[in-house]
Amino acid sequence: MALVRGCNFPDELFYSAEGNVWARREADGTITAGMTAYGCALSGEIVAWVAKKIGRFVEQNKSAGTIESGKWVGPVKAPVSGEIIAVNEAAAAMPGAINADPYGAGWLLRMKPLDWERESAALLSGKAAAGAFEVKMQAEGFAGCA
Amino acid sequence: MGKIWRVIDTGLRPAAENIALNRALLEARQAGEIPNTLRFLRFRPSALLGYHQSAEQELDLDYCRANGVAIQRRITGGGAIYFDETQIGWELYLGREDAGSADMAQVACRICEAAARGISALGVAAKYRPRNDIEVDGKKISGTGGAFEGNALMYQGTLLVRFDVEKMLRVLRIPAEKLDGKSIASARERVANLADLLGFAPELDVVKEQLMAAFAQEFDIPILPGELTAAELARYRGALAEIDRPDWVNLINRPAADRPILEASRKFPGGLLRVSLAFDARARRIKQVWFSGDFFVCPKRTVADLEAALRDVPLAEIEARVEGFFAQRQAELLLLAPADFAAVIRQAIE
Repeated sequence: MALVRGCNFPDELFYSAEGNVWARREADGTITAGMTAYGCALSGEIVAWVAKKIGRFVEQNKSAGTIESGKWVGPVKAPVSGEIIAVNEAAAAMPGAINADPYGAGWLLRMKPLDWERESAALLSGKAAAGAFEVKMQAEGFAGCA
Repeated sequence: MGKIWRVIDTGLRPAAENIALNRALLEARQAGEIPNTLRFLRFRPSALLGYHQSAEQELDLDYCRANGVAIQRRITGGGAIYFDETQIGWELYLGREDAGSADMAQVACRICEAAARGISALGVAAKYRPRNDIEVDGKKISGTGGAFEGNALMYQGTLLVRFDVEKMLRVLRIPAEKLDGKSIASARERVANLADLLGFAPELDVVKEQLMAAFAQEFDIPILPGELTAAELARYRGALAEIDRPDWVNLINRPAADRPILEASRKFPGGLLRVSLAFDARARRIKQVWFSGDFFVCPKRTVADLEAALRDVPLAEIEARVEGFFAQRQAELLLLAPADFAAVIRQAIE
């Protein structure tokens, strides 16, 4: 697991630094996606997570749903294009789980990717991801995850 | 695009047009079509939901329909508000790099502190109260919220110039609704407006001037008058077609029963403490709480500040939040204990 300024980035996941989201490819070819620990730290306590409807097709880097924290509303960007096949209803009901466990119980949605092989090339993992997040944190003047 | 900011005033409009302009300007800023912008706006009587709220849960829909109060959904977060001609709205549309931080709480703090200085220049002592209020002597005079999209953000606030508290109480389902006849007085203890504080309603041009000067000073940037551009108007027409529809207003639809107004009162050694609160039963969060009763607290604004600190708090954390609040300030409670406030909240819910 990479630790960047106190924020963890598990090695087995794929990341979009721009969207501050992660994706994990499951054995059945679907993906699970969520927010990074860094994204959670910038947002502060998340009080709402509302996904687009199951069955909706979302393009890579377009909004798959919205979160709210401290009265800010913003999109959660899809890490790859695909159909939304499941939403974490427990996190929608208790959004605190997203901050508490962003890579586990706080996952946001599952998608059936359109073309994982091609689009995942734009995602980063391992050392490359850690490097990209360090650059992003530097540019954004981020002190560190608490 | 960051060097000189623009100020526009889009005048008095129906809610749907104002919200469509929110969407249009945020998108245009994100696309790099417009400079950073300060916008002033006013509303025909409207009930405005936070983006993630449900009209059934937050509003008295029958009253709104019978009294020509438009119902709309904002693109920003936070709670439902009543907005009419007696208030002025202010909004900033910024590139995220110009906001000075990626930390959203810090961005809100910076903008609200600047707005508070602008309001104070009118002759009242306005202060930012985390997370999103600007208050005068503990009473809220401006509520705020934001939205972001890619590399752009917008942050908006109200400013109460004059204000019809009674109408607000009728439109919103807030904890006052069952405070048996005392609700108007109770609301007046929590909400301030410029006309009451100053003894006269300041000219809107003066209000705008002071807010603009405060933002210009905070961001160290000239702000020059401008107009909506053709690109914004094109985006606006597209946004209005989507927003001026029931689908948008009803985007989130939850039963009123899931967000009840609950009450309790209890006699403690320190006096009678009564609470009325809005509770999100699904997420088990306290949305808003009002205390009343017969007890001694000094300074008096402690109660209003405690209510602000307890907005949108998970029930599981209520004791810790109340304790943390009193640990951080000097307040005299006589025989009342901080834990009593949490206890009466628990009683209302359980």
